[in-house]
Amino acid sequence: MDTARNKGRDGAVAAPEAPAGPAGHAAPPRRNRFAVSHLAPRFAILAVWAAMIAVYCGTESNLFPHAGTFQTIFGSQQPLVFMTMALMCTIVVGEFVNLSVPAVFGFGATILPVLVVNHGWNVWPASIVAVAGCALVGAVNGYLVVRVGVNTIVVTLGMSTLVEGVSLWMSDLNTISGMPSGFQKIALFDVGGLPVSFYYGVVLVLGFGYLLAFTPLGRHMRFTGASREVSRLSGVRVDRIRFGSFVFAGLLSGVGSVIAVAAIGGYNATTSDSFLLPVFAAVFLSTAIFEPGRFNPLGTLVGIYFLETGILGLQLLGLQSWVSQVFYGGILVIAVTISTLLHRRAA
Amino acid sequence: MSVSQAEAAGTGYHRLEVASVSKTFGSARVLRDIGLRIAPGELHGLVGQNGCGKSTLVKILTGIYTPDPGGALTVDGRPLSLPVRPLEARAAGLSVVHQNLGLVDDRTVWENVRLGRFKAAGRFSRRIDGRAERAAVEAVFDRLGARVGVNERVGELSAEDRAAVAIARAMQDHEPGGGLIIFDESTRAMGKEARGRFFALVRSVIDSGASVLMISHQLEEVVQLTDRVTVLRDGQVVEAGIPTKETDEAGLTRLMLGRHLVTHSRVDSHARPELAAQVRQLAVRSVAEFDLDLRKGEIVGLTGLMGSGAVAAAEAIGGAREARAGTLTVGATELSLTPRRGSNEDFIRAGVVFVAERRLEQGLAGELSVTQNLTLPRVRSRGGRLRIGGGWQAQETAAMIKKLDIKPPDPNQLVGTMSGGNQQKVLLGKWLAGQPRLLVLHEPTQAVDVGARHDIIDAIREAAAGGCGVLISSVDAADLAVICDRVLVFRDGRVTAELAGELTQDHIIHATFGSPAEPAEPAEPAEPGELNAKGVAR
Repeated sequence: MDTARNKGRDGAVAAPEAPAGPAGHAAPPRRNRFAVSHLAPRFAILAVWAAMIAVYCGTESNLFPHAGTFQTIFGSQQPLVFMTMALMCTIVVGEFVNLSVPAVFGFGATILPVLVVNHGWNVWPASIVAVAGCALVGAVNGYLVVRVGVNTIVVTLGMSTLVEGVSLWMSDLNTISGMPSGFQKIALFDVGGLPVSFYYGVVLVLGFGYLLAFTPLGRHMRFTGASREVSRLSGVRVDRIRFGSFVFAGLLSGVGSVIAVAAIGGYNATTSDSFLLPVFAAVFLSTAIFEPGRFNPLGTLVGIYFLETGILGLQLLGLQSWVSQVFYGGILVIAVTISTLLHRRAA
Repeated sequence: MSVSQAEAAGTGYHRLEVASVSKTFGSARVLRDIGLRIAPGELHGLVGQNGCGKSTLVKILTGIYTPDPGGALTVDGRPLSLPVRPLEARAAGLSVVHQNLGLVDDRTVWENVRLGRFKAAGRFSRRIDGRAERAAVEAVFDRLGARVGVNERVGELSAEDRAAVAIARAMQDHEPGGGLIIFDESTRAMGKEARGRFFALVRSVIDSGASVLMISHQLEEVVQLTDRVTVLRDGQVVEAGIPTKETDEAGLTRLMLGRHLVTHSRVDSHARPELAAQVRQLAVRSVAEFDLDLRKGEIVGLTGLMGSGAVAAAEAIGGAREARAGTLTVGATELSLTPRRGSNEDFIRAGVVFVAERRLEQGLAGELSVTQNLTLPRVRSRGGRLRIGGGWQAQETAAMIKKLDIKPPDPNQLVGTMSGGNQQKVLLGKWLAGQPRLLVLHEPTQAVDVGARHDIIDAIREAAAGGCGVLISSVDAADLAVICDRVLVFRDGRVTAELAGELTQDHIIHATFGSPAEPAEPAEPAEPGELNAKGVAR
């Protein structure tokens, strides 16, 4: 055995002077970017979205195909855009279940009107305190998960309940309203028929998409999410990135809450829970749009408006509010399943 | 049920016949008109480079992949429907023993063997009839000629007994004298001794009349054990059913690669007088007070039995493992090996890189592309703060694809979809592209084919020729003998021998196992090809 082993392995290597094998240094195989198998998993949701609009326009020709409908769809989802980007921050680095995002948003959205309306603060310092408070909650989450090593679900579920309770206490279970009217302009100023907050969301999504695709920080975040050990051994400051993601998630929730309070003119802390499913649905739906199997900001933005279009159309058809839960849950499961199957087939 | 050897011989059928089987993924055709015939009672080898299509063929035979239309599979003359249905294949006597043997460690032997086949005790009872199940398993072990306690927990078994459990599970449905087992790189994780005993079991499977298809990278195993061998290259059969008596490892390698081989002669050392790295007072796991001076261009191997400390020392020096004490000096930079690091940034900045053995756990992110993986350590240093920049990434990736002959040569290919050998090349390229000063590698050629091994060894030598100090931790004496200028042999945390000069496998193996060939007294300085030191290496 040893003799044979020596015979075969003791330095038997391919002669460098010989020509390369059949594959040689062949050119990279060309990918047909226009093949159905390539396009279908990326754009199927867009096609479904277009078909849905066409169906609603046909069945609700009196109600749906109006500028006001589209202003409602695109002008009312800004809180969701900020919250989904906050969730994306942690999901991209591998922390998939940050359950505290809606509660942190609600925390900031409660601090601001409480300080302004109940305590007479100026809106700007109050806004800074609200954003800082949300970032602080993110930092506590990050510290417990990253430094102490507590399970993400436990930490974020606990913090979610805690800050929601604090918000309810601060607001005394009431809707706090009565923000200065001038403050509304930062969210509702009309630009091309849509409130300026819509453009904040678009800029945020494009900026986040750019960060992930083109910057060293984004590349490091993607690798941290793919494998912490590979990233650590490659020189990526893994713990710093994970901690920073939690803080930035809090910060984004805070900024989103300030803009939401400006748009609404106040906030009711009991409504925070209702954002949980839409936030997760939109973010997970992004894995079925543009980049199959990968969470991506632009796909999330499309997902938000896709879901809102579907729900609004059904409500215009006369269905009750329960339809939103059915739609969010059902579409999420169906869309991601189809995307997964198409992606597997194309792989 | 499967057909016995006598019946099959009488009918003139093959135990397994694969005809015109092809497989296409997207636009890539990875298998093309594969034909394979295995006779009853035959031990048939299947060899080929990483990525040649062996695994795809096994996945077709086991029903994981659906082949392209037009192919056919028959077992003992009876056609199998395509895609293969696992239960139908099992009934026909076709079974597979995978690389990791597919055992559940915390369950008993009989539970592992009978998994998926449990029978209830009675018509109205859903309780498993343990007594009958154990008896069935014991009967299979009797046929196999293996003695394994059926109530033992699999996690507590030796490597040999674990292999016996996997084989028993595979052959339990075979009719006496019938059936076919596919061994898919089943010896990959086994030591030399366990491997020998495993082959005895395989032989007893053949003696029972079953057929075996053995897929292996170890050509010496294939040549020694099998009756005939089929060679795949680039998704095609280049030679089908060559009698192994009529070929040898060099011949098989030539067929696998499509090019000639030469026996490698050791090249002159590239070692220069200047130091590349100094390790002082390293203490990690069983290793204590380990010192090492590594010169520029020098290639030093660390080896030893499991738990000897060689691997731990290499990992600590490469920054992958926290040490109790020790420093590493590279150029003007002194790095502490002790503190827990959030990242290896300071090591990489100093030019110290670590090529991990567990490539998809420590080296590469399978879900990201070749370019993204290859350039990761340098996106901050070479890219701008606000934009990584595509030019240098494309240039670096193209250079490494060419240098290491990475296949497919597609920068956008997801690393997880590549063969093991090509993943290893991407991992090596990821670190070589940064022009390191100290390259630490752990089992750089493990589970790669002979062609990839050649490319990897060449690249390591080229790095050394460029002045990089190289440290290789490996148990592969053949590799170490070919590449290294010096080999340090560890035992119980201490360097017990330092080999230098014209190294051979035998010298390294003798030193590793402490066999009588090892000289009793140390001698310094090193003499070519002799064991020359005991104690702390310098």
